[in-house]
Amino acid sequence: MAAEIAQLLLSVIQGIPGGATNDDLNKALSDMPAATRVEGLNILLQQGGIEVLKKGEKLIYRAKDPQKKSALPKDADNEEKVVYSIVEEGGNKGIWIRDIRIKSNLNMTQLNKILKNLETKKLIKAVKSVNASKKKVYMLYNLEADRSVTGGAWYQDQDFEVEFVDVLNQQCLRFLQMKRETAEKKRDGPLAFKQMSCCSVKDVHKFISDLGISKVNLDEDDLETILKTVVYDGNAERILQSDGAYVYRAVNMPLPAPGLVQMPCGICPVIKNCSDCGDVTAINCQYMKDWLD
Amino acid sequence: MSADYADLCSALLEQCFGKVVQAVADCLFSANTRTLSQIVSSTKLSRKEVTLALAVLIKFRLVNFEPSMINAYLPEYSLKREDIICLLRYSRYIHLVQSKYGSIGASIAEELLNSGSDTATSILVKCLTNGENKSETAENYRDIFHKMITDHYIIKTPELITNEDQDELIPKFLTTECDFFVPPIIDLQLLTKIQSGEASVENAQDSAMVWNLNYDRFHQEFRDDVMKLAVERKLGENAAECFRFILKIMYNTTDPWQRVSFLTYIFVHKRLMIVALQRASNQVTFGEIKQAIEKKSKNLDLMKHLDQYIALITDDSLGFLRKVGDMGGGQYVVDMERAFESLAFACVESVITERFGSKAARIFRVIRFKKFIEQEDLQKEAMIPAKEAKSLAYNLFQEQFIHVRVIKKAGGGGSGPAKAFYLFQIKTKDTVRMLLDVCYKALYNIIRRSNYEKSEHKGLIEKSQRLDSIVETMKERGESEDYIAEIVETFTPPECEILNKVKHRIKTLSKAELTLDDTIFLLQMYQHHCTMLPTGIQKFK
Repeated sequence: MAAEIAQLLLSVIQGIPGGATNDDLNKALSDMPAATRVEGLNILLQQGGIEVLKKGEKLIYRAKDPQKKSALPKDADNEEKVVYSIVEEGGNKGIWIRDIRIKSNLNMTQLNKILKNLETKKLIKAVKSVNASKKKVYMLYNLEADRSVTGGAWYQDQDFEVEFVDVLNQQCLRFLQMKRETAEKKRDGPLAFKQMSCCSVKDVHKFISDLGISKVNLDEDDLETILKTVVYDGNAERILQSDGAYVYRAVNMPLPAPGLVQMPCGICPVIKNCSDCGDVTAINCQYMKDWLD
Repeated sequence: MSADYADLCSALLEQCFGKVVQAVADCLFSANTRTLSQIVSSTKLSRKEVTLALAVLIKFRLVNFEPSMINAYLPEYSLKREDIICLLRYSRYIHLVQSKYGSIGASIAEELLNSGSDTATSILVKCLTNGENKSETAENYRDIFHKMITDHYIIKTPELITNEDQDELIPKFLTTECDFFVPPIIDLQLLTKIQSGEASVENAQDSAMVWNLNYDRFHQEFRDDVMKLAVERKLGENAAECFRFILKIMYNTTDPWQRVSFLTYIFVHKRLMIVALQRASNQVTFGEIKQAIEKKSKNLDLMKHLDQYIALITDDSLGFLRKVGDMGGGQYVVDMERAFESLAFACVESVITERFGSKAARIFRVIRFKKFIEQEDLQKEAMIPAKEAKSLAYNLFQEQFIHVRVIKKAGGGGSGPAKAFYLFQIKTKDTVRMLLDVCYKALYNIIRRSNYEKSEHKGLIEKSQRLDSIVETMKERGESEDYIAEIVETFTPPECEILNKVKHRIKTLSKAELTLDDTIFLLQMYQHHCTMLPTGIQKFK
C-alpha cells in the first residue's frame, strides 16, 4: 500500500522537472490525504528516490537521477549516506574534512571513522592538495582530481617539478630562437621576417611533443603557461593576433648590461649599509678588492 | 636630492676644484640659498676664500645668484645641484665633439671645459698656443667654433647689462633667446697679434660675450644614441637608421626637452580648467621621412622597405613611435615617455637579474605585466615553486624593487583578524629613484676607492713620476744610454709590479665610472620624461 503511494508520488514528481511543490502534489493527487502523502514522501526520501529542497518558504521535492543514484551499498547507515552525498557534491575539486564536519554536523571522531570506512570500501579517496601540503581533500573514488588540486602536469605528487619546467622553458626558447634564425636567413624584408619568426602555441606544442622530452602528456594550455614564462624571462614577446590568438617570438634585450651591474656595488647585498664609517665602506670592501685584483 | 647624491657631489667637486670649493658647495647644497656672510660663518673660511670659490663655481655655471627678496642689494647664492654630475661627463663631451668636428673641435671643447666659460678670442688663443695641432690655421679654428655655435653645441652666456648709472649692486643679465646662438665676430688679425705677443686678450672686441658648452645639446645627442642603440638591438640596423631620421625630422618642429604629459591649470570664466598639453612630439609624416631618407641615405634596403620598418618600430613593444593619423601617408609621433619607461624597465630588470637571479627578474616582469598580483597567483604565473617565489618576492620587496599594496576588506568588526589582500605592485618612479641613489653611491664609492688607492701608493707614484721626468731631461741632455738605464733601474721590479697593479686598479675604476654614468644618464632621462621631478634640463639655462 505504502509502496504504491510512493510510486504514485514519484511519477508525479518526475513529471515536473523543476521539482514539485506541495501545491503541485495536491493538485495532481487531490484524493490523497495529507497524512498518507507525508508517509509516501518519507519512504521516497529514505530510498533516495527524491530530495527535498527549500525555495523561499516552500519545500520542493525533486526526483533524483536514477543513474546518479548513489553507489552506496544497501547496508550503509544514515551517517555514511550523508557524508557520502556531501563528498559527492564536492565534485572533482574535493572537499575539506572541516567543511564536511560543518555540513554534516557530525563530531570529529565519528566523522573520521565514517571517512575511513568509506575509504576502505573504495567509495571515496583522499587527495593531497598542492596548494597546501597538509590539507587533504576527499572526493569520490572514481573521479579524477581537478588541476587546481593536483597542479596539473607540473606536479609530481605534491612537489613542483622545477627541473622539468626549466627544461621546457629552455626548449621553448630554443625553438623560438631557431625560428628567428631561419627567418633571418631569408631576406624578404623586415615585416616578413617578423611574421616568420612568430610561432603559435600549436607549433611549439608539436615541436615539444616530437622532441619527446616529456613523459607526461602536455596539452597546449600547459605549453602556453611555459611560453608565458619565456616571455616573463624577457626573452620573447607575446603578440596578439587579429583573430584573438597569441603568437610568440624571440626578441633581444633593448639594452646591454647596464654599467651599474658591471661593478660590485650594483649587485652588492649590503649596499644599504655602505657608508664612510662602520664595517661596510668602499675602502675595506671585499667585493671591491676581488673585483680590482 | 638624496644624501648619496650630496656625497657624490661633494667628492666630485673636491676632485675638480679642491677642498675650499667643496666646503662652500657643501654649505650651499644643504640650503636653498645663502648669502655670502652666511657661507662664511658656516664654513669658517675667510671671506676672501669663499669669494674666490664662489667665483670659480659661477664661472663653471654651478652657482646662481640673485638679489635677496628682502634686500635688493644683497645677493643670494644657490647651487645648481643637478649640473654637478656634468663634471663627470667632460670626457664624453669631448669625445662627441671629436667624432663630429675632429681634433680642432675637441681642443676647443677642452679649453672651454677647462675654463668653465670664456670669450671666443681667449679660447681660440689658448687653442692655438696649447693645442696639439699647431699646424692648423686660426681660420679653421674660427670656422669650427662658428659651426659648433650654429649646431648649438656652444651657447652664449647671458650678457651683462652695463648701465651708466649703477643703481644696483647686483649685476643683471640680458636673456634674449634669439641671441644665444649668434656667432661672434672673431678678429683673426688680432689673434695672430696676440699669439706673437703684440697684443693681449683684453684688447679683443668680444670681451663681453662669454661662451660655454651647451650641455643639453650633448645630452640630447646621448639620449638619441641610447634610443637608437635600443632600436638597433631589437630591430636591426636599418630600423635604427630609420629612427635616426625620424628623430632628426622631429627636432625641426619639437623642443627636444619637452616634458611630456604636463597639466596646466587655467581659469576660464572663473572656473578652473585642466588642460593636458600634448603628450608626445609633434607629428612627423611618412612623406617627410621618405624625403629625408631618399636625400641623405644610401641604404637601398631601408628605402625599399621604409613603410615596413616604420610599421615595425610602431608595433614594437618598446613603444618609441606611435601612429596618430593618416595624413601624408601616415602621421607619427615619437613617444619619449613610453620610450624611456620601457628602457628604464629594461635597466631595472637587468639589475635584478644580476643581483637576484633570472627567476627574480621573472617575478618582477610578472608583476609588471599584471600590475597588481597576489602572492599565490604570482608563483603560479611565474611557474616557480612556492617557497622560492615567496623568498624572491620578499627579497625584491625588501630591497624596494617592488611594493605592496594592502587592500583592507571593509567590516570585520573588532572580532577576529581583519581580512586584507596583499597585492604586489611596482612603483616605477620609486624604484628608479632608489636605483639612481644606488648608482650615486656606487659612483661615490668608486671615487673614494680610487682616491684611496692613489693616496696609499702616493710615494710610489710620485717616485715613478720623478724618475720619468729625470729620464726625460737626461735624454734631452743626451746622456749615455747606460747611465739612463742605471737610473731607471733604481725603480726595483717589485715596486714596478705594485705600480702596475695600482695603475690597473685605477684604470678599472675610471672605466667603471664611465659605464656607470650611462646607467645614471638613462635613469635621469626617465625622470625627465616620465616624472615631474626637477632634472636640471631646461631650455637655455
